[in-house]
Amino acid sequence: MPKLIIDNLEIEVPEGTRVIEAAEKLGIYIPRFCFHHALGAVGACRVCAVKVLEGAVEGVQMSCMIDAQDGMKVSTTDPEAADFRRSVIEWLMLNHPHDCPVCDEGGHCLLQDLTVAGGHSIRRYEGGKRTYTDQYLGPLVQHEMNRCIQCYRCVRFYREYSGYNDLGVTGIAGRVYFGRLREGVLESPFAGNLIDICPTGVFTDKPSRYTGRRWDFERTPGVCIHCSLGCRTTVSARYRQVGRMEGRFSQRVNGDFICDRGRYGFYYADRPGRPRSGRISGQTVSVDQAVYEARDRLQRITEEHGPQAVGVIGSGRSSLQTQSAMVHLCRTTGWQGPVFRNTRITGAAADTAACALNPENAVSMRELETADAILAVGADPVNEAPVLALAMRQAQRAGAQITAIDPRPLEWPFDFEHLACRAEEIGEALASAAERLSDSRRPVVICGTEITDAGIVLQAADLVAGLRGSGKTAGLFCTLPQANSFGAALLDECNACAADLAARVEAGQIRALAVIESDLWHDFPDRPQLEKALEKLDLLVSVDFLDTPLFEKADIGIPSLTVFEAGGIYVNQEGRAQQVRPAHTGGLPITVTGAGDHPPRTFAPNVPGRDMPAAWVTAFCLAGQAPPETDAQMTAWMRYNFAVLSDLARMDADGVRLFAGGKTPIAHEATMPEKPEQCLELLLAAAVFGGEPMSDYSQCLRELAGLPAVWMDRADADRHGIAAGDRVGLGFENGEVSFVVRISDHMAPGVLVVYRHPDIDWQPRAGDTRYNIREDRIRRIEKA
Amino acid sequence: MIRAGIDIIASIAAGFYTTGRHLFVRPFTESYPEYKRPLPARSRARIILTRDPEGRERCVACYLCSGVCPVNCISMQAAEDSRGRRYAAWFRINFGRCIYCGLCEQACPTSAIQLTPDFEHIRRDLLDMVFEKQDLLVDHCGKDPDYDFYQHAGVVTGLAGKGDHISENAPVNTRTNMP
Amino acid sequence: MWFWLLGYLVLMAKITAVLTAVMVLAAYLVLVERKLLGRFQVRYGPNRAGIYGILQPVADGIKLLLKEDLMPEGADRAIFLAAPAVVAITALMMFAVVPFGPRLTIGGREIPMVITDINVGLLYVFALSSLGVYGVALGGWASNSKYALLGGIRGAAQMISYELALGLSIVPVVMLAGSFSLVDIVNAQAGLPFILVQPLAFGVFLISAMAETKRIPFDLPEAETELGAGYHTEYSGMRFGLFFLGEYVHMQVMGALVAVFFLGGWRGPVLPPPVWLLVKIVLVVLFMIWVRATLPRLRYDQLMNLGWKVLIPLALVNILITGAFMAA
Ligand code: SF4
Ligand code: SF4
Ligand code: SF4
Ligand code: SF4
Ligand code: FES
Repeated sequence: MPKLIIDNLEIEVPEGTRVIEAAEKLGIYIPRFCFHHALGAVGACRVCAVKVLEGAVEGVQMSCMIDAQDGMKVSTTDPEAADFRRSVIEWLMLNHPHDCPVCDEGGHCLLQDLTVAGGHSIRRYEGGKRTYTDQYLGPLVQHEMNRCIQCYRCVRFYREYSGYNDLGVTGIAGRVYFGRLREGVLESPFAGNLIDICPTGVFTDKPSRYTGRRWDFERTPGVCIHCSLGCRTTVSARYRQVGRMEGRFSQRVNGDFICDRGRYGFYYADRPGRPRSGRISGQTVSVDQAVYEARDRLQRITEEHGPQAVGVIGSGRSSLQTQSAMVHLCRTTGWQGPVFRNTRITGAAADTAACALNPENAVSMRELETADAILAVGADPVNEAPVLALAMRQAQRAGAQITAIDPRPLEWPFDFEHLACRAEEIGEALASAAERLSDSRRPVVICGTEITDAGIVLQAADLVAGLRGSGKTAGLFCTLPQANSFGAALLDECNACAADLAARVEAGQIRALAVIESDLWHDFPDRPQLEKALEKLDLLVSVDFLDTPLFEKADIGIPSLTVFEAGGIYVNQEGRAQQVRPAHTGGLPITVTGAGDHPPRTFAPNVPGRDMPAAWVTAFCLAGQAPPETDAQMTAWMRYNFAVLSDLARMDADGVRLFAGGKTPIAHEATMPEKPEQCLELLLAAAVFGGEPMSDYSQCLRELAGLPAVWMDRADADRHGIAAGDRVGLGFENGEVSFVVRISDHMAPGVLVVYRHPDIDWQPRAGDTRYNIREDRIRRIEKA
Repeated sequence: MIRAGIDIIASIAAGFYTTGRHLFVRPFTESYPEYKRPLPARSRARIILTRDPEGRERCVACYLCSGVCPVNCISMQAAEDSRGRRYAAWFRINFGRCIYCGLCEQACPTSAIQLTPDFEHIRRDLLDMVFEKQDLLVDHCGKDPDYDFYQHAGVVTGLAGKGDHISENAPVNTRTNMP
Repeated sequence: MWFWLLGYLVLMAKITAVLTAVMVLAAYLVLVERKLLGRFQVRYGPNRAGIYGILQPVADGIKLLLKEDLMPEGADRAIFLAAPAVVAITALMMFAVVPFGPRLTIGGREIPMVITDINVGLLYVFALSSLGVYGVALGGWASNSKYALLGGIRGAAQMISYELALGLSIVPVVMLAGSFSLVDIVNAQAGLPFILVQPLAFGVFLISAMAETKRIPFDLPEAETELGAGYHTEYSGMRFGLFFLGEYVHMQVMGALVAVFFLGGWRGPVLPPPVWLLVKIVLVVLFMIWVRATLPRLRYDQLMNLGWKVLIPLALVNILITGAFMAA
């Protein structure tokens, strides 16, 4: 542990710490452009100059490039060093365009800050400025290369840290260029981080281009709810509208970065079509009216047919508050439910995954980065939980062996071994692959719940338990379908799924359904069955902040608040409960009240649309009870009423880990029946863009979803004489759907993989996430 | 001790003398409505949004004036027009709040926002003091007759491409390794 | 019976005359003060209402009357409402014992030119003057506002400190006159006004009188720069007007007392006695205005130092000296 003196202050730091980091520990901020704690140092910008007064190499040195050494004496304020830094800024500004007023980085620009700090305000150089032509990088990231200061952060993040290679450096000398090597859209689903990482305005946020300065935004710490990882975000809201999302550093969860689904998925919150008033049989009414009407009619049905005639359906995208209020609603009224999952197989898998986690085997994403062997079972992080792929890449860069057992044509940004097998063969493959972990000391098993079943999850958990038994610090890392599926598993008290309730509706046992923030329409495997069930209902009440088809069909529609307005607690897949604070107070955004023009000139104390209650408030009202008045009281109420949530009291900046304890997961039965002969198994899988109902509302992400495509194994394709790029039609019972064909060499044979696409409504066709399609129903429509 | 006492009395007396003498000095006051002093162009009152020499809106909605305004009386929404120019979709100054400090004018990088000597703009209804962009826009350059921000910036706006702006070199060729 | 009735009528007439004079004078003192302050600061002062701003007091009066009478939430209603009246009434009542001329003989009947000549008039004046501070302290307390409370507390503390100096400084005057009656005191100055005999007492009394009226440099109870408006921060409309009136009447009272104790009261050549008294009052008040235009406010500790360490010892020494001379 070297001990050194910086600016007359002594500090002891671990071996290998750079001087710039040591200074930061002392609270001394040394200017930097290229150094970044996640990316390391390259010494490209020269702005971190300090003077080493005593030590092995004396004189002006780059503090990011020298390791702290014992007995070193460093001055950051030495005139020579300060002058050096000032000159660096001045020469960086030689070519810098006069852009700040129209540059979206302005206001949080490192170059601006350091230029001001260095005192450079008058341009002395009279020559011309170097310019570059910019590239079109897709709908998410804006390119403005003139502003580049050659710090290399972008390429280091893009290529080294996240493992994509389409962006790079070209040119030499004064013409160094950072952009895509070929024309086209950025391929990485983490490209948005370029915006955060670039210290200047070269990469800026495109959808929110020219909409606001950082100082105008209300910036609130948030948590992403677009997958189960619960990455930390910073929500920027303005004029009652979310405008921009950024990654927020978290020691345990995501580190510095988030994926583009999380960064751009928030546009559902302020769409014009979002429900903002109550609806009774298609008529617009006030929210209160809708709530009271729903309460009265549900009560009447309860009185006439007994409490068993009402069912309640929730989901994993609701906050813990809403979920616990729903459980409370059913406890007090005796209604059936609430059920939080839509299908039995995946629901049971998720439930089992949550219950299998315990304080010993649970690992956080940051811990996963230190694993030395990873076995991924039926998980496709890039598509299901994107930032997990970043964490796996860091592990792989540090030397971890990664093995994947999956039928899908996995495309991960790091080296891994793919054991392609069909979904029902995963169990066997897992058993035989287990020995790959035997040489490791910190192995982690990653288990997905999208295409697996509860049996495989249990098998993975047993494997981890076995590894731990043999003295390894093995970890289990499961991904779950939704942001708060873990919370749902903790709270679930009824051994059923939405499919069961639908059956009971058809059987006439259930006459009314209250559906609260559920993606039933999107997820329910059998659309015809669902439609028939809905027909039979006497009353359908839908509470949602999305205008899902279900909300449109409901007899009574009650709007609810998004996470940006209501906040809430979300429990991620490792059981970490994280608090989200509301980002703004809600109400119609100015863009709506001003009808696109300036805000209205009439001033009133009440903001229109601020009368919407959070879903948990509505749940209390449906139970005929007064909800707790403040968020703090609600949290206290949850702790008091639910033993599994009592640890919420210990929540700190890192959240708090909740575990199911001895809870038994809901019963699971046999998985898919075996594949019949002469059939291909069609697998419907999550895609990073498209397929997650909330982010599907973001126009910019839809643009990235591309055309609906079907992936085929090369052998299968050859058998049908189909080539990559062909258009094929897949014939389902009720009609044909056409796809572009993609061919892969490393997916399971006999499987067709279709990634969910916002433009294709699945359920009326396939009936399930897995579907056996007869080979003669595959028809080529058009050659590439 | 005695000296100190004398000093105290003398200095108090000096004060009385000074104020007393003022009784016989003609007041400096200019009686306002009867006499309107001609004001210098840089005096600070009603705010305008000027145009560039070409007659285009100068304001690029950079939020610097609203950021610097000590009473937060400027609000706006930036937007991008069809040519890629950043401009203010709406721009509002609440003169009921403005203290005419002139910081907005100092902050403005485009010379768009300027204070004028016209201080006689009082309305009976407070809401009438809220000026929108069309109330603020004038069709001249104000005190700065020459400046056109978009000729200096590096962004492409449909008026000029990369390398066409003032003191810019032509875009470099990044595909060559020739020095 | 008619004799009694006539006496009553004469009394009423005297009260009416004095009240009217005092009120009108108070209103115009405000104007004079503002005008003079203006001139001291080389500007005009109010000059818009009427010619030379002559109607300004009327305009102010109308404004005050028409303003909404506000009461802060949590204020002590009764006390809040009564406090301004206490200030104004005590100030006005002090005029009852101020003589404004020699006895008048009409129809063989002697009419004293004073509302009432009580033999302890001086004590009466001091008693009322101290009561006035209740208005300040209570008003400050009842407002339920920190500024007002601080102002009220300062008012009370200041009153205690300066009441003593005020009383002690006047003892030599009483010793010389041999009476507590203001009429007698004036009569005792038939030869020489006491200002010449008792310059030290005059100085101490004048300074203490300014402190009693809470005027600059002793305006700590309302110190605008620190306390908003001190004890009357929360008052509006005519209630504020009453505080205001009280202050200006108090100024006149103090002017009248200075005149009575040191300047020979109504005595003077040529002009009729009430005019002389008026002239002397106005002179004292003008001096107070000049002081306001010139001196800065004392700090609280300076205020206390001046009162306890300078004025009170001086007054005591003065009593001893006077006693010694009288005994000699
Ligand atoms: S990158 Fe920074 S310094 Fe450059 S134009 Fe943008 S805000 Fe200004
Ligand atoms: S584009 Fe940004 S991150 Fe990349 S080198 Fe230039 S300034 Fe650095
Ligand atoms: S003059 Fe001052 S107060 Fe008025 S708008 Fe400008 S910055 Fe704001
Ligand atoms: S500072 Fe100037 S350019 Fe920027 S928003 Fe204000 S008026 Fe427009
Ligand atoms: S931060 Fe050290 S050289 Fe850039």
